[in-house]
Amino acid sequence: MKTAFPAILLAIGAYFGFVVAVGQFHGMPGLALGLPSGLIATLAAGCGVAGAIWFLFANDHVDSWRPPQILIGLALLCLGFGSYYGLFVAPPEQFMGEVQRIMYVHVPTAWNALLAMTLAFACAVIFLFNGDFKWDSRMEGAIETGVVLAFLLCCQGAIWAKPTWGVWWDWDPRLTTTAVLLFAFLGILALRKFVEDPARRAIWSAVATIIAYVDVPIVYFSVRWWNSLHQQQSNPGTVSKQFWLPLRLNAFGILFLMVAFIMLRARIASLRLKQEMAPPMAEIAELGEAV
Amino acid sequence: MSGGIDAGMVTGGWNFVIAAYAVTFSVLFIYGVSIVTRLREERSRTTEEANRQ
Repeated sequence: MKTAFPAILLAIGAYFGFVVAVGQFHGMPGLALGLPSGLIATLAAGCGVAGAIWFLFANDHVDSWRPPQILIGLALLCLGFGSYYGLFVAPPEQFMGEVQRIMYVHVPTAWNALLAMTLAFACAVIFLFNGDFKWDSRMEGAIETGVVLAFLLCCQGAIWAKPTWGVWWDWDPRLTTTAVLLFAFLGILALRKFVEDPARRAIWSAVATIIAYVDVPIVYFSVRWWNSLHQQQSNPGTVSKQFWLPLRLNAFGILFLMVAFIMLRARIASLRLKQEMAPPMAEIAELGEAV
Repeated sequence: MSGGIDAGMVTGGWNFVIAAYAVTFSVLFIYGVSIVTRLREERSRTTEEANRQ
């Protein structure tokens, strides 16, 4: 199991993500090393995501339960503490009151859903360049995990919308583009089910993934481009420091779960591919007779 | 417990918060279990195939 470099990156991400946030929460601003809050958030997210993805690509072909077990253990720790802080320690928000606590799971789910789609896009591009089926398996894992997270995102959003907007759903640009994204990637999974030839399936779904990914930046920027009901993205400057810790703990928790899911799902795809590409029994028997 | 709007502020709403967390953890748990189950099935199928050959 290759863990040294990903562990260093994750430790840097955890320091800027959690230790600094705890310091802000308990009046120890010195832990931030005098860095601006935007840079701290970028370092936390950048190092966390890079470390997790490095860990994924270094260990997803290893036939062992240990790497996903480590990730799931870390995820449970982060989600346990994050949910405790989010539900019982962080104060209610000024206008949204207690309902704002939904944001501690909704926003991390959104970040990780878009990250999973981005990973699928990257795998699709790499597969089209080098033709290595390892990337096809990773793409399948990332698409399915992304679809699950996007579905969860829509459910959480609907539960939050009812008490704040008064409706479960609205055809607002952000919601509509997210629904389009969910169904587009669901369609790619359906396409993979229908095509039997592994090479054709891999190429067609890689091309479809690249086309569907066009919707990801539209989802992200929709709240800026159109005067939408959905609020604009927050940033460390607009989010109270008391809300940082539960948001970041849950973001890392869902990130670790997402990586573990992609790792396991990619192994399923890889095993299926191995079976599909194995020569049929009759062919083996004929070869045996000929020899 | 149910949400309402009072002078521009959402009041109550804990039932929505509990529902959101319950849905989140249920979906993640069910998906995780489904992946582990499918992987175990696929592994045993691959081993069977290998033994047959």
